Parts: sequence; C-alpha cells; structure tokens
Amino acid sequence: MTFNVLLTGVGGEGVLFTSVLVARAANLEGYEVRGTQLHGLAQRGGQIPTHVRFGRQTFSPTIPRGEADLILGLEPVEAARSCYFANRKRTGFIVDTYPIVSVYSRMLREKYPSLDRVRGMIAPFAKKAVFVDASNICSGKLGDPIYGNSMAIGVAISQGLLPLKEKSIVQAIKQTAGKYAAKDLQAFRMGLEYSV
Amino acid sequence: MAYNQDVLGKGGKRVVLLGNEAIVRGALEAGMGFSACYPGTPSSEVGLTFAGIAKKAGFYFEWSTNEKVALEACAGASFCGVKSLTALKHFGLNVASDSVFPVAYVGVKGGLVINVADDPYGHSSGQSEEDTRRFARVGNIPMLEPSDTQECKDFTKIAFEMSERYEVPVFLRTTTMVAHSTGSVKLGRIRKPRTRGRFVKDFERYYCIRPILQKMHERVLRNLERIEKEYNKLNRVEGRGKTGILTTGVSYQYARELGLKGVKLGKLGMSHPLSRRFVSGFIRGLKTLIVLEELEPIIEDFARGLAKDVNPKLRIYGKDILPRIGEYSTELIRERIAPILKIRRPDFREQDARLKRIKLPARKAVMCPGCPHRSTFYAVKKVLGENVVWAGDIGCYLLGIFEPFRMQDFVLSMGASLGVTHGIRKVSNQKAVVFIGDSTFFHAGMPGLANMRYNDPKVLVVVMDNGITAMTGHQPHPGTGYTGMGERANPIMIEDVVKSFGIKNVRVVNSFSQRELQKAVKELDSKPGISVLISRGMCRLLMKKMLKRKGRRFPVFRIVQGRGLEVLDKFACPAIRKKGGKYYINPEACWGCSVCSQIVPPGAIKPGVKGDAK
Repeated sequence: MTFNVLLTGVGGEGVLFTSVLVARAANLEGYEVRGTQLHGLAQRGGQIPTHVRFGRQTFSPTIPRGEADLILGLEPVEAARSCYFANRKRTGFIVDTYPIVSVYSRMLREKYPSLDRVRGMIAPFAKKAVFVDASNICSGKLGDPIYGNSMAIGVAISQGLLPLKEKSIVQAIKQTAGKYAAKDLQAFRMGLEYSV
Repeated sequence: MAYNQDVLGKGGKRVVLLGNEAIVRGALEAGMGFSACYPGTPSSEVGLTFAGIAKKAGFYFEWSTNEKVALEACAGASFCGVKSLTALKHFGLNVASDSVFPVAYVGVKGGLVINVADDPYGHSSGQSEEDTRRFARVGNIPMLEPSDTQECKDFTKIAFEMSERYEVPVFLRTTTMVAHSTGSVKLGRIRKPRTRGRFVKDFERYYCIRPILQKMHERVLRNLERIEKEYNKLNRVEGRGKTGILTTGVSYQYARELGLKGVKLGKLGMSHPLSRRFVSGFIRGLKTLIVLEELEPIIEDFARGLAKDVNPKLRIYGKDILPRIGEYSTELIRERIAPILKIRRPDFREQDARLKRIKLPARKAVMCPGCPHRSTFYAVKKVLGENVVWAGDIGCYLLGIFEPFRMQDFVLSMGASLGVTHGIRKVSNQKAVVFIGDSTFFHAGMPGLANMRYNDPKVLVVVMDNGITAMTGHQPHPGTGYTGMGERANPIMIEDVVKSFGIKNVRVVNSFSQRELQKAVKELDSKPGISVLISRGMCRLLMKKMLKRKGRRFPVFRIVQGRGLEVLDKFACPAIRKKGGKYYINPEACWGCSVCSQIVPPGAIKPGVKGDAK
C-alpha cells in the first residue's frame, strides 16, 4: 500500500521544507518515496500543493484524486482547496488555523471564509480533521510562526494520522533544518504532546 | 549557496532527490567537468545545485548571459575533451538552437549533454506548450527521456556515455512532473571530474561547408542508425496481453499506477531515434494499441507507420481519445481508456457535487512586499496615466499584469518587449513604455535596444534593475558582481551599455524613491526619441535572505493616521490589510521598503520604533 501525504499552504510557510521532512523520514524507514515539488512562484504568495507518497513500491509522483491519506494544510483555505484529493473513508486532515488573506481577495473585496466555514467544507471529505493553531502557538513560544509546520507534523503523528516513527522525523529535522533544527525539534515535540 | 547535501551522498546510499538534483548527481557520476546554464524553470535547480557544489566537487560552473552562450561554452569545453552539460527549459532551447544544430554536425569530443525541460500545462511558463521531442527530429539529435528521479540520474550517465561514443550531443528531456518530482534514488560512485583539455585544430571537422557538410550530414544519420540499435536496451516490455500500451516519460508512471491486468506495457526510454525493431516487435500480435504520450503524437505516428506492414489490423488509440493539450494524469488516462479496456472507474459524482459547493477566494502569485517593481510600476502609471501601451517581458515584473497595475499588455519571449514596441511605434503614434529586467536586458535586450536606438522611435524604456535573476531563484548575471561559483567579478553597468549605444536621455534612480522615480519619468517623457530609465533597487526577497543570514530584520512601518489612505488600493502591497474600511500594516509581512509612506499624506505612515522591528 502507498501512503499519500498532500501538503499545502501559501508561499513562505515552509510547505516544501515540511514535505522534505516527510520524504526523508520515509526514506530513512526504507520506503520507496515519490512526490512532486512545484515551485514556480511559490515564494511569491502563490499556492503550492506538494505531494509525498511512500510505500514498498510507488508509481505516479502525484496522488490520484480522492486517495490522500493525510492532508497537512498550513493554511485553512488552502486545506479546503485540496479536498479534490480527499475522501471521507480515508483522509485525515491536520489544519493550521492561521489564515493568510491574499491581496487580491482584499482588492476584489471577496469574503475570506471563516474558520467555521472551512470546517464545514472539509468535514464531508474527512475521516478525521484536527484544527490546531500551530503558527500562533509557535509565534508565542518560539518567536516565529514558521515553526508551525514542524509542530503540525508532530500533531499528525500523535493523532495517528502519519505512520512514521518519531525518531525518523527527528533525524530528518536534524538533516534538513540546519541551524534552526533545535527550534524545529522543539516545535515537533510540542506537536507530539498537543492534546486536541 | 544552499543545496541538498544528499546530492553529494556516498555511493550505495539511497536518498530522496528532486529530478533536477538527480540529473546533477548523474553528471557527477559521469565525471562532468564543465557546466554553463541560464536559469529557466522547470530546469533551474540543475544549475542552482551545480552552483552550490561546483567548488566542493571540483568542476567549473557558470551562469551565462543566455542559453545560446551557455550551450556554446559547453561546446567549447567539449571540443577540448571536457565533459559538459547545459540545462535549459524548452524556450531556452529555442534560444540556443542556432548553435545546437551545427554542433550536431561537427560533433563533440568530451560528452555534451543538453538537458531540456518541457512544461506542458505551463506550471512555470507562459509562452507555448512546446514539445521539444520535435527538436530532436529537426536536428537529428538523440534524445533520452527519464520517467522518474532514479532514471534522471541513470540516463544522464548513459547520455554522457552515448555522447562520447558517437561524438554527438545528446538531449536529456524531462517534463515538469519529472524534473520537479521527488523520489528515492540509489546513488552510484562519483567520478573525479576532468576539467582541463586542449583544442586541436581540425579544418575538416569544424567547418560546416560543402562538400564536408554532406559528409557530416551522412555521419549524423549513420550515427542515429547505430544509436537506434545499440540503445534499444533503454526500451522495455512489462506484462503480456493482446492489448498494448506504449508510453514514455511520466505517463509510464500513470499507467503503472492504474495497476492494469492482462495488458502489455511498453516503456520507451529513448524518444529519438525511436526503435523500429522495438516498436514493430511490440505491436506484432496485438489487437489493440493505446499510445500514452503528452503533447504531440510522435510515438503514435511512428507506430501507425510501422503497423501498416507489421500488423495492418491493429486498432490504434492515441490523440483521438487523449488530449494534445496540457498534462496527463492517472485520472485522465483511466477515464479515457476505461471504455476500451473495460475497467471500472471510481464514481466521483457525489464528490463533484460537494466540491462545487466549496467556493474559495483565488490566490494568485503577487509581487513580494517591498518589491522594487511595485514602486516603479506605481510611479510610471502615476505620471503617464492609463492611456499607454505597456510592453511586458519575462521576469518577476510580469506579475504587473494583474490588478491594480495591468501594466504588461503583451509578453512574448525574453527581450521581445523592445522589438515588438519598435514595430508598434513605427506604425502607430500611441505612447509606449517598455519594461525589461536587468537579467533579461543582458540575455536578449541589447540587440532590440540597438535596433531601436538606430531607427529611433520615441519610446521610454524602463530597465527594472533589481541586481539579480530573481524569478528563477536569484542567479547572478553580468551586472550582479559575482559569478556562478560565487567569485567576485567586475559588474557591467547597464547605464554604460545604454550610453555606449549613443542614447542620450538616460537616468538612473532609486526604485524605492517615488520622488526620484516620478521626476525622472516626467522629464524623460518630454524628450524626443528613445530614453532609458534605469530603476535600481535590490530584490527585496534576496535582501531578506541576506539579512536573515546576519540575524537582522527589516524595519516595520505602521499607520499612525487613517485619512487619505485609499491610494494604498492602487499600490497593492500584500503587507497592507484592510478590515472594516480601516487599513493596517501586518508587521509580520512588512519588509520595510517605505514606499507606502511616500504615497500617502505626509506623516500618515511611519517607521516603527527600532527594536520592535521584524
């Protein structure tokens, strides 16, 4: 069986970084990993769904429709946008509740959906959905909302929504985060201990 | 420069690499000694990774001024016996093509690999959905086509081997879903690169004139025949059945994802030359053939041609059931081949209905907070108004196409802003302004500017000089002041180039000063003939990265008085928010450029106290 993780958010939130953590951890556990990293305009506020798939043998780099096992949304509206890949029999959601309103929404005076509405959109596509204020918590405790992504991985593991071992994530963070590793590890542990 | 350390991992290890990183690893395992590139996504990470590791791994790397120069530099190194590689995107190959074709004739000495990344669907391209497999045919140049990251590495090595053995340049073609896919890669051993060589004069070899020309042409064709036979080993068959699927690239992975039973799957690793022997053998005895290939029907036409002799009754499906436009996906292929193979399709009707109810605000890419281009666009429009033809070009500033600016009326290709505007001005009296970036100026802007200056229409050319090739990930160019390997270099100042063309009306201003910008636009607008405004301000994203490394942050601006702020709607900075009719600046998002404080009534926006800065 292939386990499919879709990571999404807005440019600058560390979606790519988070996907590298998951991919490296899965590789460390001996799985074959495949996925996508599309980053044409990622750093300029665009949306960037990133796919990571792991299993004994994997094929397509992209997750087929309705086959995501975990959707890790670092921004609530982007999490809702990826429902195409979700399926209520299969998909767990971890959603960072920190909204990032796009400049065009403001200019066009579009209404940015409330968190309750996002919950309502996701519910019919989710086996389980966990909303966590990770960016704000990390902003307060670690001084930067960016660590919210490592915390979200911790929550996914403690909620049983990501079948990877704690120690592989720890090793992946050490390999990937460089001088920020200490804070990412702290955020990851905060996620593991987070109670819903 | 940051790069994925795993690219230099020990032989035998299994690591996760991006397709583009795997190509770099393949080059290292082949002993490549020289690379020159011009960035173009989806191929940019090849050069970015080379730039990061060149010193450590001991080969030469440069970001050249454009793809043609990069390819020529690689050809020069190859003529001296040094293995070389250039990576470019499909449009980059268009630029380089003038030299690619003759290189195929004169042949190479050190292996020469041209990695070309196509971008069906246009994830990172806005010109055309070009299929460069056609290029391989026009130039009679062999082309390999990996379908995942492991093959990106392995095929790069094979491409070098093929190139040296037959003395031909070899294309390694990826598409976005291969170049930007990630995957587990088993590493081989890195070979020590050979970086020095010597050019040996050989008239018969290097001059493509008749009658040598025809001999060369003959050799090129003969080599293709040999390559077709020898490298048939890159094509393979999996499974058996009366129905066959013939495929290549990422479509092969989509086909495997479907887990089809009783189907014979043919995977082509070499897109040119296609193997007559392989395809004939594959279709013999089949009842039905489905060809899965994105974009052009190249394999399909080839198979149809062979089927006439080998299997005239064969029913062939290709572009009649699958699109010639955009990308494929597992779902699309399943949908289209299900009626032929009688396989079950998942029922998504309920899901479709639910998805329809999800209405979300669109999110488009924007210019960063503090982007110098925003300030320049604002000033030019403020002075010249709306009734102007705005010529666009390739770079971050093409984001000026969106509201509220709408200041890119057309965008064709690198440097085209100048040539097209020239034509417009020669037949129309409309006021015209050209926007061109610094990297694009060096890449393809100079010939257009020379032509304009010589034939002299009245045009204002705004060079948006942020000091770097920003959009593709901050690669240096000849105006930057350091090279692809991070060595200091003497920068070429764009104003010196412009003045040397004999253009008299030239101003250089600070992009972050509205007063300077607006004054210069007014002044230049009143001059006859061509004038050039160089708006200079460092890419804010690059500056942010540099500050972060030093542990520093930008000052943050805040709103201290709320009247007369509506002008901010025309500025569209993502850091400025509006809630219940009130504006405020998000301190997390402000990158401290100060321009908003210059356009609102004096004193309305002020820098925050030192220390509360982000």
